[in-house]
Amino acid sequence: MKLQEGPACDMTVDRANADGKEALTLRSQMSELTRIRPWIEHLAKRDAIPEETQFAINLCLEEALSNIMRHGYEGAPNREIAVRYSMPQTGVFVFIIDDQALPFNPVTALEPPIPVSLDDTSVGGQGLRLLKHFADTLKYEVAPGGNRLSISFRATSGMKP
Amino acid sequence: MQLALEELDGGVTKVILDGRMDIVGAESVDLKMNVVAGSKKFVLLDMQKVSFIGSMGLRSLFSVARTIKSRGGKIVLFGPDELVEKVLKTSGLDSLVPIHHEFQTAIAALQ
Repeated sequence: MKLQEGPACDMTVDRANADGKEALTLRSQMSELTRIRPWIEHLAKRDAIPEETQFAINLCLEEALSNIMRHGYEGAPNREIAVRYSMPQTGVFVFIIDDQALPFNPVTALEPPIPVSLDDTSVGGQGLRLLKHFADTLKYEVAPGGNRLSISFRATSGMKP
Repeated sequence: MQLALEELDGGVTKVILDGRMDIVGAESVDLKMNVVAGSKKFVLLDMQKVSFIGSMGLRSLFSVARTIKSRGGKIVLFGPDELVEKVLKTSGLDSLVPIHHEFQTAIAALQ
C-alpha cells in the first residue's frame, strides 16, 4: 500500500492510507490526550472540518477517551486505545475507538441527572451527557477483547440546539 | 492555560481565564482556582479567552461556585463564546451560575 503524498504529517499520526483513513494509538495516560488536538487540526486542514465541528470532535474524543482511561482501564497507565478516522462522505467525519477494557456501553448508559444544586453529586459526571449531545451519532459494539465506539459528526456538529 | 486576577471597585475580583479548559488545562489552574474560591467573595469569572471546555473544566467551575456560595459570596460567568456557552448550558451550570455578556450587568449581578 502506498502512503498518500502530501504535506508533512503531524508526528502524532501513526499511519495515513491512500484512502484518507488515519489512526492514532494512545497509551492510557491523561497526558496522552494532548495528542488529540494536533491530530484533529491536521485532519481539519486536510478535510476542511469546520471550526465548530472540530470543537465537538475534540470534546467527544476527550470525554470518551478519558472515560476509558479512568473507568475502563481503572487508571492503569500502559494499556492501548486505538482511534481510527475516516470521512465516508463529504462533511461526515467518523472516529472509531477500540479498547481492551471491560464491556461498557456509553450509548445505553444512563446520564447523571442535570444538577439542580451546586451540592448535587452529579455536577462531576457530565462527560457522558456532553458526548451524547455533541456527537451526531454514537454506535457501540462489543469487540474481541474489548469495546468499539463509533462517533460520527456532520459538518454542523456542535451547534445543535 | 493561564489565570490572572484583577481587583475591581466594590470588592469584586475579576478572574481572567485564558486558554483551553480541557483536562490538562483545567488541572493546570486547579490550585489557583481553589485559592480564589477560598479567599474571594464576589467573583466575575471572565471566560472571553476560553476557547474550549470539557467535563473537567466544568467540574472546576462547579467546585469554585460551590465554595464561593458556601462562604456567602457570589459568582458570575462573563463572556463565554458560543460553543463554550453551549457546553455550560448542556451541563446545567447556567441555571446555577448566571452567565452574562454585558460587563455592567455582570457586575450588577454581584452587588
